[in-house]
Amino acid sequence: MVAALNLTAPASAAAAEDNTVKVGVLHSLSGTMAISETSLRDVLLFAFDQINAAGGIKVGGKAYKISPVIVDGASNWPLFAEKAKQLLEEDKVAVTFGCWTSVSRKSVLPVFEKDNGLLFYPVQYEGEELSKNIFYTAEAVGQQATPAVDYLLAQGKKKFYLIGTDYVYPQTTNLILYKYLLLKGVPVANIGGGLRKDADGKVISAGQYVPFGHTDFQQIVADIKQFAASGDACVINTINGDSNVPFFKEIVAAGLTPSDCPVVSFSLAEDELRSMPTKDMVGELGCWTYFMSLNTPENKSFLAAWDAWLKTESYPGVIKEKRAVDSPMVLSYDGVYLWKQAVEKADSFDVDKVRAALESGTISFMGPGGKITMQANHHATKNVYIGETKADGQFKILKTFDQVPGEPFLLKDLDAKLSAGK
Amino acid sequence: MKPFWLKTIFFSALLLLRLPAPAAVAPDAPAPDEVAARKLLVQAILSSGADQQKQLTEVGDTGSKIAGDILKAWVRDEVFLYPASDGSKVPVMLEDLHGASGKARAIRISNGLYVKDASGAELRFGESELDTADTDMRLRTVISQTVDTLGLASPDVQSRWSAVSKLGNSQKISYIPILQARLLKEPDATVKRAIMEGVATLQLHDKDPAVQIAAIEQLQKLDSIGDVETLQRLADEKDIDPKVLQAAKRAIASIQSHIWFVNFYGTIFRGLSLGSILLVVALGLAITFGLMGVINMAHGEMIAVGAYTSYVVQNLFGTGFSFAITLPFGFGGKAFSFGLSLPGLHATGWFYESYFLFAIPLSFLTAALAGLVLERSVIQFLYRRPLESLLATWGVSLVMQQMFRMVFGANNVQVNSPAWLLGHFTVFDVSFGYNRVFVIVFAFLIVLCTWLLLTKTPLGLLIRAVMQNRLMASCMGVRTSRVNMLTFAFGSGLAGLAGAFLSQIGNVGPSLGQSYIVDSFMTVVVGGVGSIIGTVYAALGIGTADQVLQQLFGSPVMGKIIVLACIILFLQWKPGGLFSIRGRSLD
Repeated sequence: MVAALNLTAPASAAAAEDNTVKVGVLHSLSGTMAISETSLRDVLLFAFDQINAAGGIKVGGKAYKISPVIVDGASNWPLFAEKAKQLLEEDKVAVTFGCWTSVSRKSVLPVFEKDNGLLFYPVQYEGEELSKNIFYTAEAVGQQATPAVDYLLAQGKKKFYLIGTDYVYPQTTNLILYKYLLLKGVPVANIGGGLRKDADGKVISAGQYVPFGHTDFQQIVADIKQFAASGDACVINTINGDSNVPFFKEIVAAGLTPSDCPVVSFSLAEDELRSMPTKDMVGELGCWTYFMSLNTPENKSFLAAWDAWLKTESYPGVIKEKRAVDSPMVLSYDGVYLWKQAVEKADSFDVDKVRAALESGTISFMGPGGKITMQANHHATKNVYIGETKADGQFKILKTFDQVPGEPFLLKDLDAKLSAGK
Repeated sequence: MKPFWLKTIFFSALLLLRLPAPAAVAPDAPAPDEVAARKLLVQAILSSGADQQKQLTEVGDTGSKIAGDILKAWVRDEVFLYPASDGSKVPVMLEDLHGASGKARAIRISNGLYVKDASGAELRFGESELDTADTDMRLRTVISQTVDTLGLASPDVQSRWSAVSKLGNSQKISYIPILQARLLKEPDATVKRAIMEGVATLQLHDKDPAVQIAAIEQLQKLDSIGDVETLQRLADEKDIDPKVLQAAKRAIASIQSHIWFVNFYGTIFRGLSLGSILLVVALGLAITFGLMGVINMAHGEMIAVGAYTSYVVQNLFGTGFSFAITLPFGFGGKAFSFGLSLPGLHATGWFYESYFLFAIPLSFLTAALAGLVLERSVIQFLYRRPLESLLATWGVSLVMQQMFRMVFGANNVQVNSPAWLLGHFTVFDVSFGYNRVFVIVFAFLIVLCTWLLLTKTPLGLLIRAVMQNRLMASCMGVRTSRVNMLTFAFGSGLAGLAGAFLSQIGNVGPSLGQSYIVDSFMTVVVGGVGSIIGTVYAALGIGTADQVLQQLFGSPVMGKIIVLACIILFLQWKPGGLFSIRGRSLD
């Protein structure tokens, strides 16, 4: 599999000299995560082809073509670390674009730090991490969850029910939201889903949690219905994957309508909505830094070029029909262009020099989702959009938060503010 | 406070009354009021002072939804004035203000059509090119009040209900007369009740203790779950009148006992529904594994066959269904490929909604056919070797999953539920989803059919004879091979029925079967292998226990863990399950 997808010439140091630069792509192309991650491989290949067709990357007066080295993490977290090691030590790639789950990122992080590699990470995550070798184009919690809450508060919502799948992203996001809501003056009684405290009475977990693949939401939805009976309630949903279908079907069956008690979901983008009963979800909310329905010239030309590329490309395993574009794909794409600019600014592929350029705060790209600028803290400033689900699985954009900076350490920040307020 | 048992009798009586005639789902009513509302709006936007106020009140009486959207846009400064060629001003809205292209088509408020130039081409404007229809603070207050009351006159029951509960929770005493006026006109019982609740909630903020006490007693009488928190806040106030406090405490206790009642019956219903799902899923296995003794690991995939059949039927009623497969091998350098394309009926309305009624028998037939093929090709050679049948059927399940991936794609597919399965009805605040009531009835019917088939038909007699003693039946002249084949096909068909139902409440994907195979075996084993009635009891018992424990512990995971622990202990005590069958055939 790996050999078949390895599109470069045999791994030899000579390759780098004849005007190509090797770039790693580290995603799961098999296993449970393949459904999501293969799209990112596809959009990266598209970005490379686009850059190569436009003349490549200009360093030292010479134009370099990008030559991708694609490896398969196979949804196996220790394997991700091995593959990262192979990319950095054998293939000696200049940069790697990859990972989807937080656990895969945590698995490769020590490898990138030890070998001083460079990784661009594109998928919404919980924060609380900052490696000098990783640049996070991903949505931080402050670019998805807290703007969504701000929007709901402005809509007059007073009660918030938190529900998610039981793993690190929902747990951390909900804990941050719990503290954020307290800071905004929402009383504890108005935050639904339950609280777990440690022996000292400190809240360590907020919200209701279900295991991966959970299918029976009757009790939870009955609970939400009672919670929402007093009006002005909403649901913050960080359920991941398949479980969303039975969850939303139960919400509809219970008669909870978006006008009374909207559900805002952080893990459902256009790609996921393709297998959801969207007809029954009209009016439910989503929050991302990109929506396919964005009506901007950058997005239109991006989508047109993507469609044209899909028609002509000949890479093995790229699905050509019924493709949706969503935020993780666009943030992957943006990452490639941010890296290209940084390389051209540093006039070198050297990791330390490129990092310095990226950290300078001047590397910025007008992407399909609007302007994206890399910050000194390795996170990106970008636009945040609130959208409403339509029957065709697209989003109608309701609100734009312009140029929201990415902040990885919200929890500490909120704790400080909460204790200062006491 | 009504005693619990009395309430239970009422509840059961009401439940029986409600069952045969669930409330109709409200159709998307066209808005005959829209034209009038648009006309009034244009007048209101262009006038000022007392006229404007009067026109806005009239807009409020139309109940038009579009009027609400336009009014909201007006407050946000998103209504503009387009100077027409004859010098008059035309109020318009811009189509999409969020695009960065800067220009958008303008929609006339008077009729919802685009503004065009003399040649008929649509005009596009930037936000800054047009004057906004200004509002001041006083006007904005009137507008937002109009928006709030607009919903009260809406033709749609659900919107009226939403509007009432919004006003009821607004804490503004000024809405009391508006709500009371509406109460006289309101035809719908649920909305009436919501209005009474809303008025009482607002009256809690009254200065007069007598009014407050009357309101509290009203809320107690209405068993208003949504107001417990408001009452609690009232009771927590420091300078509260002792009589009010007493009434509030009484009301809280009464409503809380009502909540307990709702949860009690809600949990029983949810337990029955979960149990019915387990039953539907496990019944097929109770036949193939329980009666026939085949450790059938492909049972889950038979369920998936049924679910995918529903998906295909849905698409045939809609836009059609097609797929194409290219295999990675072939002959003479040409890849082996085949495909299928079926045109759709493009049905709409009730005909489209009825697709599920056709999907149910078809799911049974396709799964039965798949079972038949499986029995003829693999299982008939393995009746004496149960462990090998385990491995073989597991292999078959993997092959089938891959086939689903090739035909339908690795992603889950979209199955939309027909509207008649989507709603719910409420009796004493306990809500009953149509799909849940449906599964309970559905489970009852297929158990009944299975029981009739096994005990009242000649085929059933043969099946029982062959399952009890294959050799003896064969000696008596029964064609055991044929009976085996039909029995296995019947069990698989039942799994297909389960799939058809599961497509309405959950995911349809290649790994659908995997998520139910463990539950199925668990149910059959707990019930006692070989006993259909045992499977029924086990399914309902596990389902109810799961929901009760989940309610007690407030977490789905804890509920499940305890159920599993109980099952392990139970099987230590009774290894044969609930209804163990002792006979030579199983030894």
